[in-house]
Formats: sequence, C-alpha cells, structure tokens
Amino acid sequence: MSQMLKREVVYAITGIVTVVMFLEYFFFPESQSWAEMIRTWSVIIYNISLGLGAVRLAMAHSMNVQRRRENWAFSGVLLAGLAIMLLTGLAGYFMTGQQTNNAIYNWMFVNVYTPLGATLYPITGFYIFSAAYRAFRARNIDAALMLIAGCFVILSNAPVGEAIWIGFATVGEWFRFTGQVPGMRTFALVGTLGMIAYGFRALLGKERGFYAGGEE
Amino acid sequence: MGFSLANIDRRVFYWILFIALMVPFLNPIGFPIKIAENTRDLYEGITGDSVEPGDVWIINFGYGVSAWSECHPGVTVCAKALLREGAHLILMGPHTDVELTYRHLLDTAKEDFDAATYGEDWVFLGYITGGESAIAQLASNMRSVYPTDHFATPLDDISMMQDVNTWHDVSGVLSSDTGDWGGYFLTMWQEAYGVPMAQIGIAMLGSTGIPRWLAGNYFGMSVGSRGGAELEMLIGEPGDAIIAMDSISVSHLLIVIAVILANVGLLLERGRGS
Repeated sequence: MSQMLKREVVYAITGIVTVVMFLEYFFFPESQSWAEMIRTWSVIIYNISLGLGAVRLAMAHSMNVQRRRENWAFSGVLLAGLAIMLLTGLAGYFMTGQQTNNAIYNWMFVNVYTPLGATLYPITGFYIFSAAYRAFRARNIDAALMLIAGCFVILSNAPVGEAIWIGFATVGEWFRFTGQVPGMRTFALVGTLGMIAYGFRALLGKERGFYAGGEE
Repeated sequence: MGFSLANIDRRVFYWILFIALMVPFLNPIGFPIKIAENTRDLYEGITGDSVEPGDVWIINFGYGVSAWSECHPGVTVCAKALLREGAHLILMGPHTDVELTYRHLLDTAKEDFDAATYGEDWVFLGYITGGESAIAQLASNMRSVYPTDHFATPLDDISMMQDVNTWHDVSGVLSSDTGDWGGYFLTMWQEAYGVPMAQIGIAMLGSTGIPRWLAGNYFGMSVGSRGGAELEMLIGEPGDAIIAMDSISVSHLLIVIAVILANVGLLLERGRGS
C-alpha cells in the first residue's frame, strides 16, 4: 500500500469516527449504536496495545542487556520482574483456576509490589523538602511573591498553620478558592480550545505527525 | 570553606525530616482540624436525603498503592457512608493494582462490608483500561466493558446488576484519583448526562478539582490526606488520615522553615558580597 493510500485510510477513519462521536455527544446522546460499536473497538484496541507494549518493552530491554548498554542491569531487573510475574500468574492460574487472585501471584504482588509502591510516594516528601530549600529562593520580586503565596497555601493545608495563626488559613483559602481559580479555568479553556484546534488541523491533514509518523 | 546557611547539605534535611516525622508517631500532637466547605459538600452529597436505599453508586479507584495514604481514607469513609445509607456500590479502577486497593477497602471498612452481601450490596468489576473511551462506553453499555465482574461471574448472574447497565441506573460517581480519571467521568458522565459526581483526589488535584466544585460539576471534593481527615471527622470515626495529620503538619512546617532558611542565607550572602 503506498504512503498516499495509507494516509487516505487514516484520514477516512478519523473523519468518520469524529463525525459519529460529535453527533452522538452533542445531538443524539440516547441513540448511540454506532458510537457504542466504535468505542467497543477502541477499548479492544487499547487492550491489544497493552499486550503489544509489553512485548515491545521486553524486546527493547532484551537488546539493552544483550548489547550491555548503559544501565543494562536495570533492564535485566525489569525483564526478570516481567518473567516472574508472568510465570507466577500463569502457574497460579493453571494450578488454582483463579485469575489474578491466585495465591502465588498474590503473594508476589502483596509482598513485593505493595511495599515498593507504598514507599515510592512518601520518599518524594524527602526530595520536596530538600528541593524546597535549594530551589525556592526569592531572587526577584516575582519569585518572592510566589514563595509567600506558596508558604500561605502550605500552612493553610496543614492544621499546624491554623494553630500558629488563624490568618494562614484565611489567606491560604483565598488563594485556593479565589486566587488560583481564574488561572486554572483559563488554563482549562485554553487547553480545550487548543485540543479543538488540533482536532481540526488533524482532520484537515495539517498535523503531519498524526498521520504519517512525522513524515510527509 | 565555612558553614553557609544557603548551602546546607541535602542529607541534613533528610535526617531532620526523618527524625521530625518520628515525633508525632511517638507522641501524637492532635492539632484541631477545620472542615473545608468542599469536603462538607461531599459528605452531605453521600448521606442523608441525598441517598436513597438501593441507589447505585460507582466508586472508581483511580489511585494505586503509592497513593493509599492520600486517597484511601476518604474512599473508606465514603464507602462506609454509602453502605450505611443502603446504597449499592460498584467498585472498579484503572490501576493494575486495583485488586489490592479493593481488598484494602474490604479491610478498612470491614464492619460495613461484613454486614453487606457481595453481589447484592456491592460488586467489584475490577480493572478497566481504554481511557476516556471506556468511561464513555461504561455510561452507555456497562456489559460491553465488563461482561463479568472481577471474579468472572457474568453481570447478568449478579442480582445487584440485573437492572444496571447504563448511566440511567447509576445515582452518582465518586472518583478517587491521582490523575485524569475524574476528568473522564466529568466529561462523559457528569457533563454529558448530569450524573452527580465528586472527587477524592490527591492534594495536587485540588487546583484542578476546586474550580470544578465551584462551577458545580463536582458536588463535593476531598483534597488529599487533609480531606480524608475531614471526612473521618464528619463520620465520627478517626482513622489513618487523622493520625497522618500530625506528620503532615510537621513536614509542611519544616518545608516553610527550609524556605525561610534558604532565603535568609541568600540575603546574608548578598550582604557579604556587597
């Protein structure tokens, strides 16, 4: 199939899907057999892409190990983890007939994944603490204003702030409920308009990356 | 080279925080917690006249194990409150560790789940993938996304799900998030069909969620561990979030002190330089 034809097919599919979804969402929300069908396909494709992603990941990291690229040991750990979870999942399934809640797979998940996952997020607290010290410096008026606002919001979010001075809560709440809201709404609106513009550009074939992997 | 207030080694901060966080665990301080309006709105939206027995509510676990400390206390309170109102719960989530979160909820709201029956009062649909499309599809045909529950029982064989298949059959959605899933429900359920929804988000989501609450898209919002602690106060059952509040106070105060130290150090250095 030529590049040209490939592009035409993508154009056609994108156009049809867009029109169906647009009509369903805005004009016929209760009559959605076509939209429903397309969404079911989309969910199936999504699921296939997960499997494909896992295969691609395994291939890329196998190459890292094979060629002893930088940090190849981490790739090895990833591959080992992937193999162990896959094998324990399959073994558990064949031995117990249970899917993800079989004992072997669960043991790995509860005793390895849970502690690692639970540790990951709190560790960021230590980095934030040291980063706050190193980065939050009032080198000019703008930075100073941001720092003052940030300190008020931080102290209003913690009960200790109110215990020190009730004004921390009042000013912090003003920042949260009034000060930042117009900014976030503007950001959301501009972002949405940008997405609409992107959608139109894609439909008109002006977004080259969308159609042909960045090439004409 | 002498000591400089503007250039303290980062390891000093790690140790200070580590030691300081031990204090509230060894000797709880118990600062009073003021309940925010957005949290109160959330609680009132899932209790009292807002919920009828038999109403079906979706609770979306849009967080993994790493965010249990921030999201799970709020989800626990909401699940307890809804079950006590006689509501039926559909539990689901887009994280690969959703089953762990589900089992954790069965543990943290044990008495309420023990008093209820699986398949009649709640159902666990399990992992969902497919992004915004899947959430949209869930509104129009749940069975096409979840033909079975997590334990491979067809939805048609689950008594609670007999008459539940579209957004018409759902009274409300609670999405607990570290990312975009609340936004997907907002676009595909709340804005499209007017299904009431609220969010139990990590603290960082406050900046995106509060404008949505103020605009009326969310009937309420719980922000981070603080929101969880407020919900625990509202239901009158202190739990993990209230315990964590002292640590939050200590860590937040230390961050502000670190910022002040850094800037005092900067000013002193500038003074020396000039």
